[in-house]
Amino acid sequence: MPEAETVLSAESLTKRFGRREAVSDVSFDVREGEVFGFLGPNGAGKTTTIRMLVGLARPDRGRIRIRGLDLARDFEKAMAHVGCIVESPDLYRYLTGRENLLHFARMLPGGAAVRIPELAQLVALSERLDEKVSTYSLGMRQRLGIAQALLGNPDILILDEPANGLDPAGIREIRQLVRYLAVERGISVFVSSHLLSEIEQMCDRVAIIHRGRTLAAGPVRDLLGRVASDRVRVTARPAARAAEVLAPFGLVETSGSDGEGIVDARIPRERVPEALRALSSTGIDVFAVERSLSSLEEIFLEITGGETV
Amino acid sequence: MRFSGLVENEVLKIFKQRRFRVVMLILVALIGLIVFAQVRGRERFLAGKDWRVESQERMARIQNWLRDGRMPVSQQRWARFELGRLQYHLDRNINPDEISGPLFTRGFANASSYLLLPLLAIVFASDIVSAEFAQGTIKLLLTRPVSRARVLTSKLAALMLAITLTVLLGGVVAYLFGGFAYGYGGWGAPVLTGFRLSGERFDPSTVRSVVLWKDTILVYGLSWFASLCCGAIALLTSVLLRSTAAAMGTMLAALIAGTILPRLASSWEAQKFLFVTNLPLPDYYSGSPPPIAGLTVGFGVAVLAAWAVGALVAAFAVFMRRDVLA
Repeated sequence: MPEAETVLSAESLTKRFGRREAVSDVSFDVREGEVFGFLGPNGAGKTTTIRMLVGLARPDRGRIRIRGLDLARDFEKAMAHVGCIVESPDLYRYLTGRENLLHFARMLPGGAAVRIPELAQLVALSERLDEKVSTYSLGMRQRLGIAQALLGNPDILILDEPANGLDPAGIREIRQLVRYLAVERGISVFVSSHLLSEIEQMCDRVAIIHRGRTLAAGPVRDLLGRVASDRVRVTARPAARAAEVLAPFGLVETSGSDGEGIVDARIPRERVPEALRALSSTGIDVFAVERSLSSLEEIFLEITGGETV
Repeated sequence: MRFSGLVENEVLKIFKQRRFRVVMLILVALIGLIVFAQVRGRERFLAGKDWRVESQERMARIQNWLRDGRMPVSQQRWARFELGRLQYHLDRNINPDEISGPLFTRGFANASSYLLLPLLAIVFASDIVSAEFAQGTIKLLLTRPVSRARVLTSKLAALMLAITLTVLLGGVVAYLFGGFAYGYGGWGAPVLTGFRLSGERFDPSTVRSVVLWKDTILVYGLSWFASLCCGAIALLTSVLLRSTAAAMGTMLAALIAGTILPRLASSWEAQKFLFVTNLPLPDYYSGSPPPIAGLTVGFGVAVLAAWAVGALVAAFAVFMRRDVLA
């Protein structure tokens, strides 16, 4: 989509706590039907930003528009387009899943309750809907939270660290659900995370926030490709020999010695086939070759030129 | 979204919590206990005695205490008042200790207005906002397309409903239990009300006779009003402190201080502007010597209303503005 419409825009948001600026001049746009990642380490200002986006906290400076509506002035109309989970999926534990959904349906314009069975099906909670939320697992509460957020047929879904505390299966479910909502239903999704891999797998575009400032924003592949391109991880036996062979191709780090081990090397993409041929011709057993992801810290290093982290 | 839906939510949340059922159970159990204890007490002290003889004996005892001269001043005022009240009843041949189901019902409202009913109001009010913070559900509640003012208004409406129900239940249970012990009839009987001290002398000029059912409704109305005002103030503590335990503790301390203060420091007149001092509205109405000069029903209603309005204004101001970061 070349010029998709903007659903949510943040303009130079700033929030101070005492003298400390938790969020400084953060701006971004979330477009129609995209999954937008908000990536940053813990304490970078992600949650504070999200609290401003959903009206829980007031920005000291800056403006938030949802579907063109100013959040500060048109709160009720603007929030009618938003579904959200802030931090943890906290619902009323002494109520059942259905009672919780009914509760939040009553806070929406009429007719939202009709969608409860369909949404329960979508998040795979139909069977347990009449049980108390206190009996739910974290993953189930996360899914109930998403069903709640979808009750009002929102244009944008705001999810704060949706994978936090979930097991791998739970994370996969959430990821698939988010992709489905964006691709099939055309709902824009704003997802925050401190995990690079999660953002990489879920998002179309990403903004990176660090110490309250956005460092970079753009399509995920562009941003991550910058750093990840020359890192290769080879599992081979004997590892020490493999390191010797790979040394001429680039910087090498080895773990393991005579037996099977892992060699990390920085080899330019176009020279990787050549390096592998060299390995096999010397009779070294290669078990796996993978392009290793750079860590979040390395991306920060790369983006900031190594000055801040 | 209709406002009634929001109130329905808040009512549902109060009723679905175990707290509500416990409070109702306490109320029923307590009234049962009071009736039982009272019946046993009356058996021992009034058994077979003519009420005129009993009244005269009691007056003689009080006069002896007064002559003794060791009675504290506040007690002396009570003693003079009580002497006047008993004499007034004797003169008109009305039994001051008459008891019936309806009379017990009225008596219960009188006795519970300054501690029990406000306490139950506090139990509901102090967690109505703070619980949302504690559960984290405040983040959902305030990110729906409903203004914060409407959210808090719906909570206030639900709170008033719960308090009203509690007062009503208290009345109904008191009548059921009291009637079981003393008989259910007697709503039409006249009761004397409006006794007071003028200066240090008993003053019968304001005494009037009222039909019991009218008097009972009035007494319950005053109790209800006092509880509502107490609930409004507890709502403010719930908004400010964001912790149920802290809010409840604060209000409890205030209530207890209110029952102790007039006894320990009756000469400090400014305490009549405290809300706790004005909670026993039914007492000030039906007449008993007020602990501090100048306390009347009208004054009490005005002070309580001022406190409640002030508390609500502050609660709304804080609730609507504050960032939710917890």
